[in-house]
Amino acid sequence: MEPRQDGKREFGEVVIDARGVVKTYDTSTVEVRALRGVDLQVRKGEMVAIMGPSGCGKTTLLNSLSGLDEFDSGTVFIEGTDINRMPDDKKTEFRAKDMGFVFQTYNLLPVLTAVENVELPLIVSGTKPKVAREMALKSLDRVNLRDWANQRPAQLSGGQRQRITIARALVNRPAIVWADEPTGALDSATATEIMDLIVELNSEEHQTCVIVTHDPKVAARCHRTIHMADGLIVREDSQAQMVAVAAEH
Amino acid sequence: MNELFGLSMTYIAAGTVIATAIILLFVALIAVRNPVMFKMGLRNIPRRKAQTALIIVGLMLSTLIISAAFGTGDTLTNSITSEVYDMAGNADELISWDAEKQPAPVAQQTIPLAKVDELRQEFAGDPDIQAFVPFLDEQIPLQDTRTKLNEASPRLVAFRTDDAKALGGLRDTGGNTVTLAGNEIAVNQDLADAIDAKVGDTLLAFYEGKSTEFKVKAIVPSTLLGGAFNSNEKKGAAVDFSVLAGLTGKAENADGVFVSNYGGVKGGNAHASAARQKLEQALAGMPYQVETFKKDGVATAELIGNAFTTVFIVFGLFSIAAGVLLIFLIFVMLAAERKPEMGMARAVGAKRRQIVESFLSEGMGYDLGSAVVGLVAGMAVTLAMVQIIKSGAGDNLGVDLAVTFTVRSMVVAFSLGVIATFLVIFISSWRASRLNITSAIRDLPESKAPNPESETWMGYYRAALNGMVALALPVGFSLFLLGPTGMLLGLPLVLIGLVSPWFYLLRGSNVALPRELRLDQGPPRWPWILGLSLIGIGWVLVLPWYFIALGLVVLVRDRKPRGLATWMPAAGILVPPFGFVLVLLQHSRVRINWSAGVAFAFAVAGLALFYAGLDRNSSFFFFLGASLLFLWAAVTLRYFGVNERASFTVTSSLLLVLWYLPSSVYEKVVGPLNGDIEMFFLSGLVMVTAGVFIIVYNADIVLPAIARLGSRFGRILPAIKTGVAYPLTSRFRTGMTMIMIGLIMFSLVMMATLNANFSAVFLNSDTKGGFDDVLQVNNNNNIPSIKEAIADTGTDTSPIKATGELRVAYPSEAQVENKDRNVSGGKVNDYSRYTIFGADQGFLEATALPIKYRAAGYESDRAIWDAMAKDAKLAVIPASLLAGGHDPFGGDDTLLALDPARAKDNFEPFTLNLRDPGTGTVTTVTVIGVMKEAADTFLVLGAPASDGTGGMITGKRTLLDTFPGSQGQRFYLALKPGTDADAYAKKVEAGLVQASADSLQKLLDEQQAIQNAFLLVIQGFMGLGLIVGIAALAVVASRAVVERRQQIGMLRAIGYQRGMVALSFLFESGFISLSGIFLGLGLGVSLAWVIFTDGNAGTDTSGAGFIVPWVRLGVIAGIAFGASMLMTYLPARSASKVPIAEALRYE
Repeated sequence: MEPRQDGKREFGEVVIDARGVVKTYDTSTVEVRALRGVDLQVRKGEMVAIMGPSGCGKTTLLNSLSGLDEFDSGTVFIEGTDINRMPDDKKTEFRAKDMGFVFQTYNLLPVLTAVENVELPLIVSGTKPKVAREMALKSLDRVNLRDWANQRPAQLSGGQRQRITIARALVNRPAIVWADEPTGALDSATATEIMDLIVELNSEEHQTCVIVTHDPKVAARCHRTIHMADGLIVREDSQAQMVAVAAEH
Repeated sequence: MNELFGLSMTYIAAGTVIATAIILLFVALIAVRNPVMFKMGLRNIPRRKAQTALIIVGLMLSTLIISAAFGTGDTLTNSITSEVYDMAGNADELISWDAEKQPAPVAQQTIPLAKVDELRQEFAGDPDIQAFVPFLDEQIPLQDTRTKLNEASPRLVAFRTDDAKALGGLRDTGGNTVTLAGNEIAVNQDLADAIDAKVGDTLLAFYEGKSTEFKVKAIVPSTLLGGAFNSNEKKGAAVDFSVLAGLTGKAENADGVFVSNYGGVKGGNAHASAARQKLEQALAGMPYQVETFKKDGVATAELIGNAFTTVFIVFGLFSIAAGVLLIFLIFVMLAAERKPEMGMARAVGAKRRQIVESFLSEGMGYDLGSAVVGLVAGMAVTLAMVQIIKSGAGDNLGVDLAVTFTVRSMVVAFSLGVIATFLVIFISSWRASRLNITSAIRDLPESKAPNPESETWMGYYRAALNGMVALALPVGFSLFLLGPTGMLLGLPLVLIGLVSPWFYLLRGSNVALPRELRLDQGPPRWPWILGLSLIGIGWVLVLPWYFIALGLVVLVRDRKPRGLATWMPAAGILVPPFGFVLVLLQHSRVRINWSAGVAFAFAVAGLALFYAGLDRNSSFFFFLGASLLFLWAAVTLRYFGVNERASFTVTSSLLLVLWYLPSSVYEKVVGPLNGDIEMFFLSGLVMVTAGVFIIVYNADIVLPAIARLGSRFGRILPAIKTGVAYPLTSRFRTGMTMIMIGLIMFSLVMMATLNANFSAVFLNSDTKGGFDDVLQVNNNNNIPSIKEAIADTGTDTSPIKATGELRVAYPSEAQVENKDRNVSGGKVNDYSRYTIFGADQGFLEATALPIKYRAAGYESDRAIWDAMAKDAKLAVIPASLLAGGHDPFGGDDTLLALDPARAKDNFEPFTLNLRDPGTGTVTTVTVIGVMKEAADTFLVLGAPASDGTGGMITGKRTLLDTFPGSQGQRFYLALKPGTDADAYAKKVEAGLVQASADSLQKLLDEQQAIQNAFLLVIQGFMGLGLIVGIAALAVVASRAVVERRQQIGMLRAIGYQRGMVALSFLFESGFISLSGIFLGLGLGVSLAWVIFTDGNAGTDTSGAGFIVPWVRLGVIAGIAFGASMLMTYLPARSASKVPIAEALRYE
């Protein structure tokens, strides 16, 4: 596939290549077809937003693409590797080294300090503690939280906690950052601040970002937005189109 | 079993059954009044089946422990009682010679048969006494000529055939009547087993040097008629009356008379007291005594059964305490799990009471299920324990244990389990119902509104005031311990205490609100129902106080002032009635710091207990009071803003220091204090709790250390960190679990350590006294020279290196001057009965019995023994004589104990008078040494079971001169190296008819085996508590998996492998269990050391080295740790299998 240009930026090769992804939830009483054959390609350095009404399959798609969840059929290649064929151990290692995650509900370990939370993915992937600590502090520096490194999550505000999760997501310099409603629990000012940070990091580090969101303002900060309904991708908007939609809001 | 802790089991059963019935009625009432909440509660039970199973296992443990303790007591009581009835049959009383009344040579201590006939005539037609059965008995050695096996001291009895009919007549094991004539003998089952006798065998009886042949006519049961008089002396045989009379020269006389009452085997006991009284009247002025031996035997059985139950219950208290903590923990966790549901129920209009009812319904479902399971499991544990005792103690037990469960005991165990669980569920339900609806629905931590009085003296005064009023009853009663002043202070509090619970109940209800806030709701009605349904008690203890409280609330509810002056609550604390009025006047919405209040009330009670401890020399009161004061100090420091870590660490450390102080140190200040087994329980509870406080408030100190060691741990570093950090964020549940494990470990470790040390003191190689074999000689066939006697039998005497002889005057034949009159109570006699040994030259030359204290002028142990060999009027006494006295006959007027200060190293020799109660001869001996504890065991080993006592040793000549009637004789053999002592003993015994021989090592091993069997049973029983701690760990881990599901999802998302997730959970449980294990281990060993080296354990152990049984402790710790890891493995595994995507969405 040829490199694609969007606005001023040129994106690299395809790093996420999903084809015909199907996922069904069987709750023993009801069968829910969450994904009905989704095709999606994302290039290196691209920021893609996934939007759609509740229950349309956004989070399921993110979980399936990132290897957090199994899917029934179809293929997902991440940087050329078929993620569904990887054994659990490999998949976990792959996540630890090449992916970063940001969730709506921060999911920080309350018993660890900010810096200990951030260095966690490095240590579990075998980085030496001293090196991990240095990298974690640098990462906290990137999100302007160096001074809060030794505080526990309970002592920080919602925005600060989300910045720590971003620092944690970026600490291992992952190729892809997955974010599920990263601003969902924040007020609009803090949400803007967080999105500024993600965009800034993306432009500096050239990481690929896939963001599930309800908020058109968040989507407007991404290079393109795909819209889902009933387990399928139904439309794709460019950044310019989404800026217009966000302005209407 | 008829009594527990001095209370009649019938009353206990009635009380517990009534309480259980009320609980069940209460729950039935909930079901009828509020079926929705009832169903809501019950339907939770099958929701999580594994969790339900875990809860039932956790809740059943208290019932299990109680029922196992009762089952053991029942088994012992019934086994011993059955044996007493089987052995005695229809005989109820025994008339025998009373040497105290009239001293006489043993051979002349008889009753003329003519006197028996007189008694028969006198008591003809008596409503209590049915028959008199005179008998002869003599301990005579017997040998089976076919098997060549012999028995040195079996009891040969003789009854006249017609007399014996009153006791059912002599019958063989098949139930056929046996009539003996001429030289026929009926051998009882125990003797037949010992010498392998069969019908038709010829037995040789040896009496005063002559032998007589008997032909075995029958094998008979081991009853009185067959020569079995008690469970320690069952081996015997019966012969014709005239034959034994001829042999012993007791024609027309009897050694004793059995009396049979009306009422049969068991019913005869009802007439025993009356019969004894009448017989004593009839025998007044004559040298005879009457013993109600069957009734006494049954009472002893009862006593033993009760004693065992009490011991098991006391040792089980740790497990029961841990079980109660577990129940509380389980329900606190359940409440946490149900918080959003309960919040939702409250949001849609459910009242707090209804939440409690729903929770109670669920809890009662578990409660009843667990009580049934616990009862059955307790019975199974009893079976196992009895089996272990039987296999460990073997024939040495003397009783054939048959597992028995009485319905009454089982009903009590079931009911106690139900009641204990219900109470804990009730408290935790009430606690759970006090939730903030919004926080509960969103599952957020409870937040508290700021308290303007927080950390102020005003707030403290009010807290103290409320604490005193709420706990007025126990505080008031504890003030009674201060004496008359305490009564003056305590009585108003006790009266307030009867009203205050009702006041606090009404305070939280609508009826106490000011008029403008009151709804159209009356006061709670259930106290009415309770008061009316508890006939009698309710009218006195419930209704009047409820009505007084209601009246007071109505009277003051609209008169509450806006605030109180600071001095008022302070004054109220000092004047209880004024304090109660102030409490009534305070607004119900004003916050009270209950922890400070309760701590204050307990401190007041603690002060009273502390004083009572000093006043009554009671360790229990003293230490309990002191511990409560330390608790108060911690809570008060915390109240006034001192850092939590500092408050609890400092006070807990000081408390531990107090408990560790050797008695010799604190007794210098507070005087002597006495404690018993209850101190074992109290020390464990307080010390383990203090230790847990120190750990949970300080363990995070290790976190930076772990981080510094980071590179060594590699990828598992985060798992280790979270393994320590997570438990410390939930101090309550972590602390509770640590206490459970720590308590049980403490008790097991203390027991194992003290046992190892006391075994080393009593059962060591010194116990053999320098000899290898012991020979117990028949009283009627003394041996002048053992070496010659052995040689005469054709046995090679060359392996014998040395021989020693001890002549024995048993307590019935000898008395010792009660020199220091050192008894703790009762009448003090001039002389006490005591065992005295007379050692010959051989014994004194060969013995290696160690001496603990030597008199001045004796440089070595040998010097002591050599001096005794030269002067027969020198003596050595056992250490036990200085440590509290020793008397096999019991009774507070016969205790003999010397002042411990009398003998220390280089003590001044002192004299003791020895007296023969028969002749009144007094001889003075000089004590020049105190033997070590091992001597007590040495002197007991090889003695007949009924004479198994230690005693003092003097010269043989002195003994024979002072007690010419004493017949006891023992020989000791020291063998050449390489000789098999056991085989040689058997060889000697086979040759010597009139003596039984045993290897001292074998006897020592048997003693150790019995001790180990009992220790194993008690440790196993206490170890049941470990299941509680381990179950708690499993509950905590399962709950953690549910609570942290989302975090687990995140960890997996960022790269935690499954194994790492499982590992972090295992680390958490490992941290808790290892903390509990090491705490129990450290505290147990160290306290055992303090007790052992301080001489606080009832035995003077100074000079004995302290042993730590590392292997046994390692096994205990290993089992505890292994089991806890095993139980946590399942939750850890389920945590590792959490589906990531699902977990991240989980709420």
